[in-house]
Amino acid sequence: MATVTIDGVKVEVPAGTLLVEAAKQVQKDIPIYCYHTKLGPAGLCRICLVEIEGMPKLQIACNTAVTDGMVVSTAGDKATEGRRAVLEILLLNHPLDCPICDKGGECDLQDYSMAYGQGASRLADPKAQKPKAVDLGPTIVLDEERCILCLRCVRFDDVITRERSLRTEDRGVRAIIATATGQPYRSKFSGNVTEICPVGALTSKTYRFKARPWDLNRTKTTCLQCSVGCEMNVDARHNIPLRTMTDPDGKISDGWLCDRGRYNVGFYDDARRLTTPTMRDANGEQVQIAWDDAISMWATSVRKTIDTYGAGAVGVIGGGRLLNEEAWLLQHFYRALGVQNIDWRAGRQRQAAPGAYGGTLDDLENAQAIVSLRRPLSRTAPIADLRIRKAVQFKGARLITVGEIDADSAVPETHIASLDQLADVLPANAERIAFVWGGVRKSTGDDLERAIGSLSGKTLHVFIPGEQQNARGAEMMGCIPQGGGLDTRGMLEAARDGKLKSLAIFGANPLAYFPDRALVEAAFAKLEFLVVGDLFPTATASAATLVLPVCGPFEKTGTTTNLVGERLMVEAALMAPDGVYSDLEILVGFAGALGIEIPEPNAIDSAVATGLARSGTGLVNASLFRANEPPASLREDEVFSGQGTAAFDAPFAAVLSSPLVATAQGAS
Amino acid sequence: MDTKPVLMKGIGELNLRSIDVYKSQGGYEMLEKAVKTMQPADIVSIIDKSGLRGRGGAGFPTGRKWQFLPDNGEPRYMVCNNDEAEPGTFKDHMLLEETPHQIIEGMIIGAYAIRSHHAFIYIRGEFKRGYEIFCKAVEEARAAGYIGKGICGTGYDLELTIHRGSGAYICGEETALLSSLEGKRGEPRLKPPFPAVKGLYGKPTVVNNSETLAYLMPILRNGAEWFSSVGTERSKGYKIVSISGHVKKPGNYEVPLGTTLRTLIDECAGGLRDGRTFLAVQPGGGSSACLFEEHLDVPYDYESLAKNGTMLGSGAIVVFDDTTDFVKAALALVRFFSHESCGQCTPCREGGHWLELMLERILEGKGVASDIEMLLSVSHQITGINLCPLGDSIEPFLASVVKRFESHFRKYIREPQYA
Repeated sequence: MATVTIDGVKVEVPAGTLLVEAAKQVQKDIPIYCYHTKLGPAGLCRICLVEIEGMPKLQIACNTAVTDGMVVSTAGDKATEGRRAVLEILLLNHPLDCPICDKGGECDLQDYSMAYGQGASRLADPKAQKPKAVDLGPTIVLDEERCILCLRCVRFDDVITRERSLRTEDRGVRAIIATATGQPYRSKFSGNVTEICPVGALTSKTYRFKARPWDLNRTKTTCLQCSVGCEMNVDARHNIPLRTMTDPDGKISDGWLCDRGRYNVGFYDDARRLTTPTMRDANGEQVQIAWDDAISMWATSVRKTIDTYGAGAVGVIGGGRLLNEEAWLLQHFYRALGVQNIDWRAGRQRQAAPGAYGGTLDDLENAQAIVSLRRPLSRTAPIADLRIRKAVQFKGARLITVGEIDADSAVPETHIASLDQLADVLPANAERIAFVWGGVRKSTGDDLERAIGSLSGKTLHVFIPGEQQNARGAEMMGCIPQGGGLDTRGMLEAARDGKLKSLAIFGANPLAYFPDRALVEAAFAKLEFLVVGDLFPTATASAATLVLPVCGPFEKTGTTTNLVGERLMVEAALMAPDGVYSDLEILVGFAGALGIEIPEPNAIDSAVATGLARSGTGLVNASLFRANEPPASLREDEVFSGQGTAAFDAPFAAVLSSPLVATAQGAS
Repeated sequence: MDTKPVLMKGIGELNLRSIDVYKSQGGYEMLEKAVKTMQPADIVSIIDKSGLRGRGGAGFPTGRKWQFLPDNGEPRYMVCNNDEAEPGTFKDHMLLEETPHQIIEGMIIGAYAIRSHHAFIYIRGEFKRGYEIFCKAVEEARAAGYIGKGICGTGYDLELTIHRGSGAYICGEETALLSSLEGKRGEPRLKPPFPAVKGLYGKPTVVNNSETLAYLMPILRNGAEWFSSVGTERSKGYKIVSISGHVKKPGNYEVPLGTTLRTLIDECAGGLRDGRTFLAVQPGGGSSACLFEEHLDVPYDYESLAKNGTMLGSGAIVVFDDTTDFVKAALALVRFFSHESCGQCTPCREGGHWLELMLERILEGKGVASDIEMLLSVSHQITGINLCPLGDSIEPFLASVVKRFESHFRKYIREPQYA
């Protein structure tokens, strides 16, 4: 430990702590631009100058390690003059377009200029001119004149994503930010550079000129685009989410967001949004009906089917895209009616919780070997992939991929054809080993279980990125067939064979995403009653007898479960459109209409907690698999839980011109 | 006086580029002796005792620099800095073209002394001819068994890599040089860590100037006392100075440190051109402040120059007589530093450009009286707060001539005319 005195205040910190971090502990403000806690010191902007006793020159606080007995002045005459000098020079060629700059109001250059700067510039010569509104890539626009060359973006792209597509071009006062190849800046994490940019140089295409920061209402919630469940701040104005921001201190997100999570938020006010229940009339047309009629039509139909054919003729698909509470109520109410045909699995994934081998994202980051058995996490759980990149690049972990080769990989990897070769490539000293499995094929799970068996004594963790963001929650809430109930394929086959008459689908689009489309079509053709809850007229919703408009992720409150089993708060950032209710409210209405007892909120809460506390033994839960396995490969657009939302998100589609969106649109 | 006593001996008379001629003058004897009979630590200790200081500009004691390398079992690298680009300096250029084997031998002995098995030389991109001569010399040395496996029949191996720069002044700064050598953008790195701890490819590295390395042989041959008996108390030995500007015989002269500026200018360089009067001398390259008439008897050594507010630097002496327009001279140097700024850190990137704009405007006759004060104020405020020394190199010359020759600047200022 070292004791350092900062402006007369003593603070004890571990020896070697950077002065800039030590100062935070005593609330002494040392301005920074290029320094970033997660990117480390760069020593470029020179704004963090402080005076240290015994040193003739001013020192930069960002690269000065604290030593015992150090006496620092952040506000003495010398430091103040140094800071003024640097600020004057930083502002020299910076355009004073704050009134039209997106960063205005939350700009470090603006703030420090107000705090420490001088009133007028002494520059009598023309300012340097650089390119404006540079189209850096699908998501980002760059204003080179506003750029103060702190290189946070370049370093983020180097240190955090390891993609190294950004760089400085030219030198001296002509230096600009550019892509290394001259090709557009494409990254799954590009949006982060707009947040770490200390000025208004890097802006998101979706947010440019949309709002002033002080006009935004911020809500802290959890991103529901994939099963990582990153902390997310939603900034909305007039009930429209204009942008989403990271939680820099996020324990799950590690302070970052992927572009999918960040930008796929433009669907809430899409014109195609469903805002009223509809039913199919005698001519096959969807016509509007009132909520009371809709709920009563649904309840009556389910009651009649059970009375006529028994509970075995009723089925439920969904839960993986609902909140924990909704998923629990969905199965709870249907089970109260005796229905056991319940399954969240509307795609290919069969298992979501890794039995006894659960681990945290920190376990993933600190693993010495990471064995990936499925398509890259960069597509299924991007922020978790950043943890892997960190582990490989900075913590000496070895990334071993099995089977498929990852073309996207940003870090070195060792590839083996099958798990049998694992022993050959596993570092001898690896005590902490993490596995990534898709939870799709039992045979892969069995191979994995065998491999794990040969590694006794080691610390082993298995991670299953969910196809749907709350896959693990739905499984733990009991949205899986029990007591002889049918799984999704079983229900569809039973419907095709005329044995299952009534089906409810919440938060799923099997017509687009179930591996066997012909089966879904045949089943839907035979169903007597199909109720679908969704935000949009998806393929499945269009085939329904009754369609119920539901809330999107930002419009409801509750909890979700991420791939490592953490229960995360979801807070409503927006008011739902008139006439739209959450799945929870709809389910409660349904139960009320049928006279099913509705649990108190705290009873629901403890039921969710109990469900999540359940832990399995072993890795593979054989009861979740069936003999004829579906093909293991997934289409690009199926890997995100967002699924349908991307297809109805025009701003997102405009910025992310990747095949992912194109396919999703085609499949909707 | 003998102005070619040690390193320059034979230059202009013998074809020292040829390994045979070089060997006939005792070349590679010290290398053979060193690797066969001396321990690396002995060499370090002799060099330390000799008082040899880095001849590239910073003047850091060479022996001490070598001792900073951590003994952690990691590979170490010896890097020879021949990216000579300091305005006014042309000594390494001469060594490279005239006696390349002295540099090669010095690199090998230096590498042996720090127990390195890979030496690199970074040659300024513009020195194409020197590069070709050096490449040929390296081939000769390799053929003679001085480079490669088992040097001189001993168990010592050394690989030597030649790298030609691409024309950036900043790459003469040692950390920028290392970045450039690694294939990255030539930008100075943040210190700490210092190259001795984390240098080339993140490994302990010594960066020595060509002239410094060339002095290793004479010191080993004649002993530390021979070297340390020459010069002043803390500035030992000989130094090649490059004298240019308004003198009759510009060129390189190898002199004992402590020789007065007057001797250097009048005796070595033949004095000023006839009928001209002396105005100023820049004693240590483009980055140093000027000295004037009253300083001509200052001994040319590190301490005396520092005491007079300037520095010895790389030993480039530029003499200005009364034909000089110091506004133009200042603009030339400021423009150079502004152009060569890597653009990483704020004060150097923006400040240098600002001063350049001001000087251009003054020369165009659009200056105002307050600009003179501004030149001093701005150059001062960008000094001492930069990532590397480049940004700090702008103020010394500019401030010294603005203060001394304010009339030169005033001449261009037109006071506002009120109708």
